[in-house]
Amino acid sequence: MTTPRTIRFKLNGRSVSADIMPHETIVDMLTQRFDLKGARESCGQGLCGCCTVNIDGMAVSGCLSLAWFLDGKDVQTIEGVANGATLDPVQQAFIEAGAFQCGFCTPGFIMMVRQLLDLHPDPTEDQMRHFLTGNLCRCSAYPEIIDAVKIAVAKRAELAHLVA
Amino acid sequence: MTSFDLVEPETLEDAFKWLGVDDSSVRPFGGGTALMLMMKAQLFTPVRLVSLRKLGRQFEGIERSSNDGSFRIGAMTTFSQLEHSPEIRAHLPVITQTMKTLANVRVRNVATVGGNLAHGDPHLDLPPVWMALDASATIVNSSGTRTIPVGDIFSGYYETTLEQGDLIAELRVPVRPGWRSRYIKVTTRAEHDWPALGIGLSLHAEGRVIKDLRIVLSAAIDKPTRLIGAENVLRGKEIDDALLKRAGEAAADETHIETDNRGSAPYKKHLLRVHIARAVSALVTE
Repeated sequence: MTTPRTIRFKLNGRSVSADIMPHETIVDMLTQRFDLKGARESCGQGLCGCCTVNIDGMAVSGCLSLAWFLDGKDVQTIEGVANGATLDPVQQAFIEAGAFQCGFCTPGFIMMVRQLLDLHPDPTEDQMRHFLTGNLCRCSAYPEIIDAVKIAVAKRAELAHLVA
Repeated sequence: MTSFDLVEPETLEDAFKWLGVDDSSVRPFGGGTALMLMMKAQLFTPVRLVSLRKLGRQFEGIERSSNDGSFRIGAMTTFSQLEHSPEIRAHLPVITQTMKTLANVRVRNVATVGGNLAHGDPHLDLPPVWMALDASATIVNSSGTRTIPVGDIFSGYYETTLEQGDLIAELRVPVRPGWRSRYIKVTTRAEHDWPALGIGLSLHAEGRVIKDLRIVLSAAIDKPTRLIGAENVLRGKEIDDALLKRAGEAAADETHIETDNRGSAPYKKHLLRVHIARAVSALVTE
């Protein structure tokens, strides 16, 4: 008696709904029902971070989470981090540092770096490396990614200063 | 993944009703980090999953007793909640230490204390630590409640003593004055690999004399296991190099370690001797 149910949740700030089967993962749902392809399934085991999405402020692996449980939640994907045409400071920092080659892992890295900076606005390099151990970049842009985190820290501090 | 029935009971009565069938493919679902991997690999094809996330108070929260200072930790507590709890950091710092190298941020945001125990995987980091801390688990089912030492949950490789319809509801963890604890995660292929062996170590020392201790080995054997022989060598003694060597030998002699892709049995026994001596020495002089 496996039947779909309608879930209602916030997706990148908009109220949405979807008819979901129990076995559908968040990545399945985002790609197939919302045409959002920034969160990708790569390793399928929670090790690589390419499928990172943010649920109620927490980074999770979208390929290992059931969409069923999103009912009532606030979901953010890489498609929702820019403010219109203005890139998020972390996105801008990745461009300035050249922190990618092929770019496949980049959405996941950006989502994780955003959570890192939410928890630790001025992280040590050890904290950066520790926090990103669950994200793999097969082009091995790791030194540039750490540079990007440092640039993002400065950009966020600058923005906070402007707001204050 | 093939589909299945997914229910989210809000009372224990409803949970037991959904779980109370003679079918091992009907399973409780906590954070789901382990089950999702098994389902995607088609090692596990559930007929029904019973989510525990709406069961409420008994399954949630980290609370400290005002009587004896012990902790009550709900089974649906996530690893992130443990990691970021100031109370845990202050009174059970070994848990905070263990979190640093446990999987990654996303897994810790989702994985739960109870699911981690019910999974019965001997490579997991927390079970030997809970055992070294003398933690006990409260198990509920449709006929009542029982409290057992955490070590009694495990009966073999991915095997537990939990019966169909049993739910781990909470852990009780004493805070023992004067005790110090540490988790030693020994990886052999890459630093961030699953452990070749894990050692949960907890001891009470006065100067260099060990008054009492717990040594629990995981990963290298079929289930987390107290090394009673090695404990007996050390208990009540003043440590020196010869004694630590004897404790390491006792540990290697009392365990059945298998060769696998993280090392040969002789190599892992060598690691066990070295790391027990090193960790006991470090903790006594800390």
